[in-house]
Amino acid sequence: MMLLMLIAMPLMGALLIAAAPESRTRAIATIGSLAPVAWFAWLCTRFNWHGGGGGMQFEYAVGWFRPLGVTFTVGVDSVAMLLIGLTVLLGPICVIGSYTAISDRIRTYYGWLLVLQAAMTGVFCARDVILFYIFFEFTLVPMYILINLYGSTNRKAAATKFFLYTFTGSLFTLAGLVYVAYRRAAVSGEWTFGFEELAQTCRMFTASEQAWVFWAMLAGFAVKVPLFPVHTWLPLAHTEAPTAGSVVLAGVLLKLGTYGLYRFVLQFCPVAAIEFAPLLAIICCIGILYAGLICWVQTDVKKLVAYSSVSHLGFCILGLFALNATGLQGSVLYMINHGLSTGALFLMIGMMYERYHTRNMKELSGLAAKMPVWATFMVIFTMASVGLPGTNGFVSEFMCLFGAFQAGGAQWKGLSADGSMPVGGTLGVLGPYIAMVAGTGMIVTAIYLLYMLGRVVWGPLVEPAGHGHGHGGHGSHGHDPTGHKGGLPTDLGRREIALLVPLAALCIGIGLYPSSVLETLREPTRATASLMAETMNRMDAPKSEPAGKPVAGVEGGSESVDEGVTQ
Amino acid sequence: MVGATLPISIVELLLSGAIAQSGHDAAGHAAAAASHAAPAAGSLGAVTGTLPQWTLLIPFLPLLGCVLCGVCAVLKIRNKLPALITVACLAGAFAATVGAYMQTVGGSGGGGGGGHHAQAAVVKAWDWISFHWRDNPSPSAAPDFVANFSFYVDSLTCLWMLFVTGLATLIGLYASEYMAGDLKTAGYARFYAAFCLFVFSMACLVMGDNLLLLYLGWEGVGLCSYLLIGYFYKKPSAVAAAKKAFIMNRIGDFGLSMGLMLTYVQFGTVEYAKLFPMVQGYLDLAQHGKMSEIPWMVQVIPVLFTLGAFGKSAQLPLYVWLPDAMEGPTPVSALIHAATMVTAGVYLVARFFPLYLCSEWALPIVAWGGALTALLAATIGMAQFDIKRIMAYSTVSQLGFMFAGLGVLGAVGGASHVFTHAFFKAMLFLSCGAVMHGFAGQLDLRKLSGVAWMPGWKIVTLAMFVGCLNLAGFPFITAGFWSKDMIIGDAMGNHGLQAIGWILLFTAGLTAYYTFRVFFRVFAGPVEYHPGDEVHAHADDHGHDHGHGEHAKGDETHDGSESRHASEHFHPHAPGWAINIVLLTLAIASFLIIPLVHPFGKAENTGDGHGHAAAFWSATMVGSSTAGVEPPHAEHAKFLGMTAHEGAMYASIAVGLLGIAVAFVLHYVGRRTAAVSKADAIRLGGVQTAAQHKWYVDELYHFLIVMPLRVLSHIFHAFDKLIVDGLVNLLGWMPRGAGHTVRRTQSGVMHDYALRMAGGVALIVLAIWFLNTPAGDGDDGDAQPPPAAHASVERAEGVEGVRP
Repeated sequence: MMLLMLIAMPLMGALLIAAAPESRTRAIATIGSLAPVAWFAWLCTRFNWHGGGGGMQFEYAVGWFRPLGVTFTVGVDSVAMLLIGLTVLLGPICVIGSYTAISDRIRTYYGWLLVLQAAMTGVFCARDVILFYIFFEFTLVPMYILINLYGSTNRKAAATKFFLYTFTGSLFTLAGLVYVAYRRAAVSGEWTFGFEELAQTCRMFTASEQAWVFWAMLAGFAVKVPLFPVHTWLPLAHTEAPTAGSVVLAGVLLKLGTYGLYRFVLQFCPVAAIEFAPLLAIICCIGILYAGLICWVQTDVKKLVAYSSVSHLGFCILGLFALNATGLQGSVLYMINHGLSTGALFLMIGMMYERYHTRNMKELSGLAAKMPVWATFMVIFTMASVGLPGTNGFVSEFMCLFGAFQAGGAQWKGLSADGSMPVGGTLGVLGPYIAMVAGTGMIVTAIYLLYMLGRVVWGPLVEPAGHGHGHGGHGSHGHDPTGHKGGLPTDLGRREIALLVPLAALCIGIGLYPSSVLETLREPTRATASLMAETMNRMDAPKSEPAGKPVAGVEGGSESVDEGVTQ
Repeated sequence: MVGATLPISIVELLLSGAIAQSGHDAAGHAAAAASHAAPAAGSLGAVTGTLPQWTLLIPFLPLLGCVLCGVCAVLKIRNKLPALITVACLAGAFAATVGAYMQTVGGSGGGGGGGHHAQAAVVKAWDWISFHWRDNPSPSAAPDFVANFSFYVDSLTCLWMLFVTGLATLIGLYASEYMAGDLKTAGYARFYAAFCLFVFSMACLVMGDNLLLLYLGWEGVGLCSYLLIGYFYKKPSAVAAAKKAFIMNRIGDFGLSMGLMLTYVQFGTVEYAKLFPMVQGYLDLAQHGKMSEIPWMVQVIPVLFTLGAFGKSAQLPLYVWLPDAMEGPTPVSALIHAATMVTAGVYLVARFFPLYLCSEWALPIVAWGGALTALLAATIGMAQFDIKRIMAYSTVSQLGFMFAGLGVLGAVGGASHVFTHAFFKAMLFLSCGAVMHGFAGQLDLRKLSGVAWMPGWKIVTLAMFVGCLNLAGFPFITAGFWSKDMIIGDAMGNHGLQAIGWILLFTAGLTAYYTFRVFFRVFAGPVEYHPGDEVHAHADDHGHDHGHGEHAKGDETHDGSESRHASEHFHPHAPGWAINIVLLTLAIASFLIIPLVHPFGKAENTGDGHGHAAAFWSATMVGSSTAGVEPPHAEHAKFLGMTAHEGAMYASIAVGLLGIAVAFVLHYVGRRTAAVSKADAIRLGGVQTAAQHKWYVDELYHFLIVMPLRVLSHIFHAFDKLIVDGLVNLLGWMPRGAGHTVRRTQSGVMHDYALRMAGGVALIVLAIWFLNTPAGDGDDGDAQPPPAAHASVERAEGVEGVRP
């Protein structure tokens, strides 16, 4: 029930908005998005952050569709809890941040924004596969509407592409999940879509069968993340989406993909995950560098940040497929941090756009002279995005890279003098060379983000001559000579600063004291990592025995078995 | 200042300098000898003492200063309060450093043989990044990876922090006047906030008790450098320079971060107190010449560190950012880009000196990188006309000396040169800054002459002169001479690397020449000046400056003798009290530190077993830290038939004086106006032009790296649009051709659409159920056909399901 409230509050807000007159919309939306924050804060005090052996808390289940065993089961562990925290935090920021940007059809807008929040919260709570899928897909609808109705010039094409692309992908995911359920039903004679049951079933599959499920699931989640070859919907969607849409998209929606990979792919198909981790890592590396370099030649600042998400999430997935506790913790933390810093960057670009009605870096320059407060926040969030130590971005980027670096497995044994595992190495299939390639991404990140800062924030002041570009179907465009929309101060107003301060505080706070967050991630990631270590040992075992090196094989194996099995 | 503990008069110094030859040789052995003061084997780097909690004031007072300056900016305070806050906080940090130094080294560190009393202590502030990765179910288990916000203080830390906080305080004071032109804007507070943040970052870098905190400082100083180089953010060149500095540094940081990770994988810790005792084992192997037994991974770590060090300390091939960094305000150039931040690389090498000794390649790389950089930068410096750039190239060159010193196993020489260089280079920059400030941004040595004869410039001239003497390595009476000489001597004494000694010796000659080229052209000669391009800006704050300055208007009116004025309305304004006091203090300090880097014959007097330890201050400071380990082979080469250090000293006296003499002839005797000197008559083909254009290295990098990368980015961008997205669009077209679904989705009936989607999902579920309930029999675990078949069926269903 505790979790249901988190989903229900924004939904009720949406219903109220539909019922109440338009003049009340903003107030209701604000309350509807702030209430979950308060509720969540209360939940945090009740949540056992350190325990449960990685188990779920606040569980609640009711039967739903008995013939298929579909249930309405919710429950969270600390990973889900943190992501929910991110979702409820960004909720009011999006709502309040849209006060001036959206003035048309506000009931539709705020209504769907709240529905979106409910759906996203639902994804992180769901413990039933079908429930998860329904929430997962349902996020598409509000997002589609937000882009389609409130976006910029090319919004319809962007919305359609966003919808069809991600939807097509996730159908494969559904197919994979249903296949697992079917196989389970075939064995036990009874349908269930419970998460644990299906995961257990899937882990029993043969390697090739797991591979099928793996790719099916990946098809959906990789599009959502998005990983390298299937990312092209993202820049388009981001550029066209209204500010709040971009914030939610970058902040939370992309995390549905990474969360799916973490929750489903790794738990369901450990064998396939290990088998394909090097491939995934290479895809991530390509994504990091490829998207990073593309950022560097963008002229639209929003598109730049959008492509940077592709690059950044490459690090996140790299950490995930390091398949050790370091990488997993880093990856989960990356999800949060990326949501904070990139969400904030989109918010800032939105604030700039509201004032100048352009995002073209050729028309804008040196805004520090005009908007020092804005510029200050911009520098903070950019540095968090660059991954400067002392900001949150560093902690997660370092841990993702370090996790991949550690996960050398056999490579480490080969590199060390006596063929044993060095003290800091773990089992795994990535290793230092992949980490090194990905690590060059931190140089590329600095290149394009400083290019952005250098263009937009620093330099001689350049403002667009006249700003009536007629972008978007929203807002009224006043033609006042300063290039500012009526009602907005030159620099940030109090409302805007109030939105940015918590984000900035979190960026720096997590950067300086991440241990508290990392401690909460310990249990869930330990469980996953030990599953992986166990699987790797099992996969290695038959190979090493006939290889004629029983001593080395057993030694290496038993050492890691100790690591993996003793719980 | 530090030197205050050593009240030795200059006369005494001169005398003892003359008799120094005997003791000088001992100085050369300092590295080896000082290691006797090192802790016993096995306890290398281990914590041997405690420090009170107030040690934390050293990093956190500057941080407080940063926050307070930020508050000033928010409250729109437009007076000198930020400067006051900064100087107070930094002075507090300096006092705390002195206190920590007293506790660590035992108070009698200066000149005496207190080395072996030095302790190492760790003071913890809070947990930073610590996490578990081993599969350990115990909830109370200690984290596997620990990197705390805690500070490791040993004598090497003290050596660095003393000059970092000391100089930062002085330069903060200097800047209060220098930056006064920006008092009307938020720039003043912004400047000081970044300034304080820099000192905090530098403290983390130098004092961090683990590699990760060092990395935080490492990138933190990079950020502050970025912010301060780009301080005049309206100037595109400043923005570009800031960006370049940050990115070049990031390339180095990449190496450092990889080295950090490898260190953890190999040793299982990044905390010095745990790391160094483990290094000891490998060090023993290295000292017995068993290099081949040291694992490859251990040997690679210092090479990776070197990349980081070369990035931060502007060495080949990553040096090009530092000259450009002169776009920042001069106090920043003095503090960050001359005295402190750029020595971080040297600190890294010195701190991890034991690890470097365990690698076959790392120290030779350091030595050659340093020596070649020293030479290259000096040749460029000779041909520049911008005095601040000349100083920048000389910084690059001097940093090359330091690295070369470390590379030839002379940790003491390298670290001593860092220490002395910090003083005299800061002084040189601040003098140049005073000139720049007074002449409206004029930095071209062809447009300034005879500054020494103008009223109000005496102290600046004095400081500049002393700084030049130090940089040129004027024999005996300058600290720069002794510390540089130690390096050259170490190089000459190193069998395998004597070539480096020759390179450095030659470079020393060049250094003396270009240093005095600046002095003779700008400060000596006929009085002549042309204001720089900030003349209008200065006209604005001119009157303002008089409000607080000590100079009456009449003081600086130009006397009639000055005939050539580019602008009749321009009055150069001589520096005020803040600048003068700082310059004077530095000039005095640069003499007072001489005994700190030289034994002056005291070496033999200690009497005990460590007698030949030549226990001068900087040697004990280095020797009792982790850098104080004995290099593997102690046999020294001869040079000029003498011990290497003696020979090197005579040689460097000769080349130093020769360089000064050449500069005197060409640029003082052979000069009639500011712009023309005899040197112009020397034609060396295209060499001068090439050197003036910095050997076209920037252009080369642009052509070889930036352009291709840029082109690649454009190709990727096009590829992304046309191919990656094109394929998707192509796929998208197929169903579009089949029906009108897409158009209908855009009809705006969204609720309808949502309903349909939910319906579709339900349909899929139902379809699968109907399909599979009867198939309850064909389920023998490993059936291969079903997966593909069913998957495709479901896919088809799915597609049908949603498309109405």
